[in-house]
Amino acid sequence: MDLVLLLQRIFDALFNSAIYSSLALALVIIFRSTGLLNFAQGEMATFTAYIAFVLLAGPQPRLTGGGLAGLIPGVPFSIPLAIFGAVLCGMAAGAMTERALIRPLGGASDVALVNITIGLLLATNSLMAQWWGTGPRFFPAIFPTGAGQHFTILGARLRYSTVGVWVILLSALILLVLLLRHTKTGLAFRAVSISPSNAELVGVRVGPTLMYGWAMASGFGALAACLSANSVLLEPNMMLRVLVYAFAAATLGGLDSPKGALLGGLIIGLSQTLIPAYVPFIGFELSVLPALVAMVVILLIRPAGLFGTQRIERI
Amino acid sequence: MSAQAPRRFTPVSVAGLIVLAGLLVAIPFLTTTTSLRQATQIVVSVLAVLGVNIATGYGGMISLGHGVFVGVGAFATGYYVGDLQLPWLLAIALGAITAGLAGALVGVPALRIRGIHLALVTLGLAIVFRPLSKRFPSITGGVSGRSIDARFDAPGWWPSDGRMASSVYRYVFCVLIVVLVLWATWNLVNSRFGRSMRALRDNHMAAAIYGIDLVAARVTTFAISAGIAGLCGALQVLLVPFVSQDKYPAQESLVIYASAVIGGLGTIWGSVLGVLARTVLGKAGSALAGYDGLGPLGEFFDLLDESAFVFGVGLIILTFLFPRGLAGLGRKNQVPK
Repeated sequence: MDLVLLLQRIFDALFNSAIYSSLALALVIIFRSTGLLNFAQGEMATFTAYIAFVLLAGPQPRLTGGGLAGLIPGVPFSIPLAIFGAVLCGMAAGAMTERALIRPLGGASDVALVNITIGLLLATNSLMAQWWGTGPRFFPAIFPTGAGQHFTILGARLRYSTVGVWVILLSALILLVLLLRHTKTGLAFRAVSISPSNAELVGVRVGPTLMYGWAMASGFGALAACLSANSVLLEPNMMLRVLVYAFAAATLGGLDSPKGALLGGLIIGLSQTLIPAYVPFIGFELSVLPALVAMVVILLIRPAGLFGTQRIERI
Repeated sequence: MSAQAPRRFTPVSVAGLIVLAGLLVAIPFLTTTTSLRQATQIVVSVLAVLGVNIATGYGGMISLGHGVFVGVGAFATGYYVGDLQLPWLLAIALGAITAGLAGALVGVPALRIRGIHLALVTLGLAIVFRPLSKRFPSITGGVSGRSIDARFDAPGWWPSDGRMASSVYRYVFCVLIVVLVLWATWNLVNSRFGRSMRALRDNHMAAAIYGIDLVAARVTTFAISAGIAGLCGALQVLLVPFVSQDKYPAQESLVIYASAVIGGLGTIWGSVLGVLARTVLGKAGSALAGYDGLGPLGEFFDLLDESAFVFGVGLIILTFLFPRGLAGLGRKNQVPK
């Protein structure tokens, strides 16, 4: 086995790992606090990538939202600013979703919650197709991706973009941890995640706290979409497959463990690159299959994943 | 969910039945070859929705991936009738059985994976299906699909002739099959097995204590539901002898699920109503989108052309207002848990 090639593949995988970790984190934050798998997370994230796209393109009359973007001073934005704007929009959208669609349902059944998120997925997906077309669009890269833009470590190339994506993800994570540990809202959120009813008894307002949770989650989702839009090309179905990887990552790490989401994303990203490279049948196109199989196997033999809370069923 | 299937017909359901039967008889007299084929496709799509309804509405296992079984049914039937040269009836039956076996395979993990996690796995399956089927080009035709070298034409004894003869024959054949399956499902859910299915859905612990074999019941339920969805795929091949993976994107599975929910889970008529709603909403949407007299509002109505959008929004609204779906509109205060 060629070790340099192996190292090269690992480096290549790290980029996707960051994306999966980020989206998996979004899923985990919501599952931990609301007990709900947000199937629409990927589509919500793609929508914010389109917002970033519009903010980058500026006031173009033929582009949906272009007129609206023209009203914002400073448009067209630079890439980091556009992504920042999109993440803010995503957070607002996430908070609104919680307030308008999830909270009024109360503690409804699994079926009802699945219905809401599936409805959101379908509606958002076809909204994007209608507004911005189904064809792929070029989304500029935030970090230089040219031929020579890499570090060389032991003969393998580690791209600047990979390092950059991890720097952004880790800083966002540090920010999240600081928020959770050192602010009142963070404390309230941790309390609600452990036990909503007890949190309510000691005076935490559960609803608004969950809204913050949704905003944080959607922020991570938006980050995932905006950072990957360059490599996978922006189109309405862009995050559909990424969602499977992210769900596999979240399941592997434990659906209610942020730490697990990070590690799960790393493992799934690596396996996505390494398995097709060494198992010819899988190929690039089918690389999503191992992720699905991994997800099923974990749910079957260890539903709590690596770091999740073990659920105990009383008989 | 306490969906007691009503054994007696209410006046509303009798009236609905008569209207529906009248419509089905009238359709071949009012249409051209193309629109009759479309009408037949709509009738056939009831089966896919019914499949979801059996797994989710009666069995309590959320399935977001029934488009996969429709696809398996279609590909398998295409293979049996086109490559193996089997007679159509046998090929269709085997196609449905193949889909049912695929369903049984998915049903095995469903023994331990439940609720929202099963929804997750089946959604993953729906997303993986297209790339997976591209890996078997000899059966699926790969990226571009392939046409099946067999036609389901009217036999010699068929009374009508001319251009429409085969279209009418296919229509009558499909309507008969769908009615037959609806009737069989009605009997199934009211049988001993149907009761154990519902018991399992409502409280699997209690069901087990009463001696229901959980493993057998769950796997059988999923297999039957997948087989019926596969039958839908088989009949699609009969109508248009062309199979292609791009007929079965993940969205198709989700729209099938949405139809089942909108029509009403846990009632047979819900599946019919769901398909009717999908058709009516789709047609009304494209009519509104094509209408120019709305001024600046017109741009908004363009969205209605996409039935997935209407369905997504409809699914959300219905979950809030009528949790039992269209079929539950007439019934009082029975809210599913």
